[in-house]
Amino acid sequence: MSRSDATQHPNPKSSDQISASAVVSDPSSFGTGFGRTMAIARNAFREAVRDRVLYNLVLFVLLLIAGAIFLGELSAGQEAKIIVDLGLSAMLLFGAFIAIFVGVGLVYKEIERRTLYAILSKPIGRGQFLLGKYLGLCLTLLINVLVMGIGVSLALIYVRRGWDPLALQIWPAIFLIYFELMIITAVALLFSSFSTPALSALLTFFVFIIGHFSADLKSLATTGNSAAARLVFRTLYYLLPNLNNFSVITPAAHGTTPSSSAFALVTVYMLVYVGVLLAAATLIFSRRNFK
Amino acid sequence: MKKNALLVSAIVVGLVAVTLLSRTIDARRANNAGQFAEEPLYVSAPTAKRLSLAFNGLASDWYWMRSLQYVGGKIVNYEDTHEGNLDFGNLANLNLGLLPQLLQVCTALDPQFMAPYEYGAMILPELDSEHAIALLNFGIAQNPSAWRLYHHLGYIYWQRKDYLKASEVYAVGGKLPGAPTWMAAMGARLKGEGGSRDSAREMYRHLFETTTDEAIKSMVAKQIIRLNSLDERDAVRSILIDFKTRSGRCALSWREVSEPLRAARLNLDGMTGAPIDPSGVPYELIKNGCDVGLNMNTKVPLK
Repeated sequence: MSRSDATQHPNPKSSDQISASAVVSDPSSFGTGFGRTMAIARNAFREAVRDRVLYNLVLFVLLLIAGAIFLGELSAGQEAKIIVDLGLSAMLLFGAFIAIFVGVGLVYKEIERRTLYAILSKPIGRGQFLLGKYLGLCLTLLINVLVMGIGVSLALIYVRRGWDPLALQIWPAIFLIYFELMIITAVALLFSSFSTPALSALLTFFVFIIGHFSADLKSLATTGNSAAARLVFRTLYYLLPNLNNFSVITPAAHGTTPSSSAFALVTVYMLVYVGVLLAAATLIFSRRNFK
Repeated sequence: MKKNALLVSAIVVGLVAVTLLSRTIDARRANNAGQFAEEPLYVSAPTAKRLSLAFNGLASDWYWMRSLQYVGGKIVNYEDTHEGNLDFGNLANLNLGLLPQLLQVCTALDPQFMAPYEYGAMILPELDSEHAIALLNFGIAQNPSAWRLYHHLGYIYWQRKDYLKASEVYAVGGKLPGAPTWMAAMGARLKGEGGSRDSAREMYRHLFETTTDEAIKSMVAKQIIRLNSLDERDAVRSILIDFKTRSGRCALSWREVSEPLRAARLNLDGMTGAPIDPSGVPYELIKNGCDVGLNMNTKVPLK
């Protein structure tokens, strides 16, 4: 679809470019469309690891250790709840920052370093390239979230001096945080497909904020003064991602887990929304002229 | 190498200078600290919830810890200036004007968070029971199946000596699934003998057993000690009246009534024979030996 748009350029030998070249020239991983996408994803993951994105885990672990040691004295017996609130909120915050700041650079860095031309000169579509980049960052976030989740569970066991059912009950909330991060990553990728990293980061951050104000949008959609305003707010409510669907940190701290049907519905919502965002990103990216 | 050493020295000297400057600025600002400590919260409960995005649980925890620090700081100040421990009945002297608002924001951010309701039920009635009732009613509206909230609301009405209302609240809470059987029994008891010492003891015993907050446990334990001391003083007083009736005069020393005191199974001081109060301090003979009173060193709260 878009290979005709790609322009081949000389391939200077920076470390990232060597890696990109290695991926695109690996015939085994380029056998099928899926294999090609996965090769890009693996490369995006390696690049994130090389960029020391996972170093945030060190900060997270220090935060949890400090929380587990000091919260007992400050919280009057509520340390388990506060460990969950602190751990899962930090997980969402750190994850959102990674999704936004790494996500907006996924495409831009390839363009700036001109490695994109080398990749697109191979038998790979622009959509596959975007999907691969997206999956690579999602894999990074998954590992991040899993390690953080294990950290929170261990901190809970530590503060309770033994097994606490909350250590298991928080996992549905952890997966919902991950789903939210997948949407934020897709939003960042969409903006970065046509905008600069700074503007993309700003716009993605706004979407993150507005996504948590969806209850207010819905309220404005019913109480607005004019029919036009109500229509605008209703449209925004349905079109913007409703990130409140994924916010179950507070109930999780009380040991409340979402029902399986609610979890399934939210999962489908995430998959559909991510699908729409990636399709839009592909549409825009395939029309870009890199000459 | 020399350049690195110079840079490290500059960093160390800079950090020391920053610390000293901070201390100077803090010292200048200390005079204004009291003025701002009592300023009402800028953010109302609904606004705080809206602004907290997905982090309302964490924000609620922050307000919870701030409430504890607020009360803790006031208690430390009070004890520093009044040379002694604070009694439960002296909470009104602490000027905890900001506490209702702090607990309100805390529970609005996380309505399922039970600790602030419990804390509010114990502390707020000493300031203004209407605030406590409003907080507990909000909690019940948000958690209709939480029997503990009915227990705390019933306690607030009992403290207001509104025994009928307290009885009703306990009766409603006792019907909730998972509520212990003593809730309904407490409802019935308060209806019949709401102001009795036995019902007070039972009330405090249940509060002691159901709370996980060590500060509240300690407060309630002091109240149980106070009730035990009142019972002991009644027993001693009756012995002293008996002695006066038999001998025509009041007791000159505890030794004169040691037999009946021992028979009443009171702990006696080995040296003086004086009965010992629940905090381990001997009682005193007052009114020329006609009555019993607490020693000034006692830890038994007066109210």
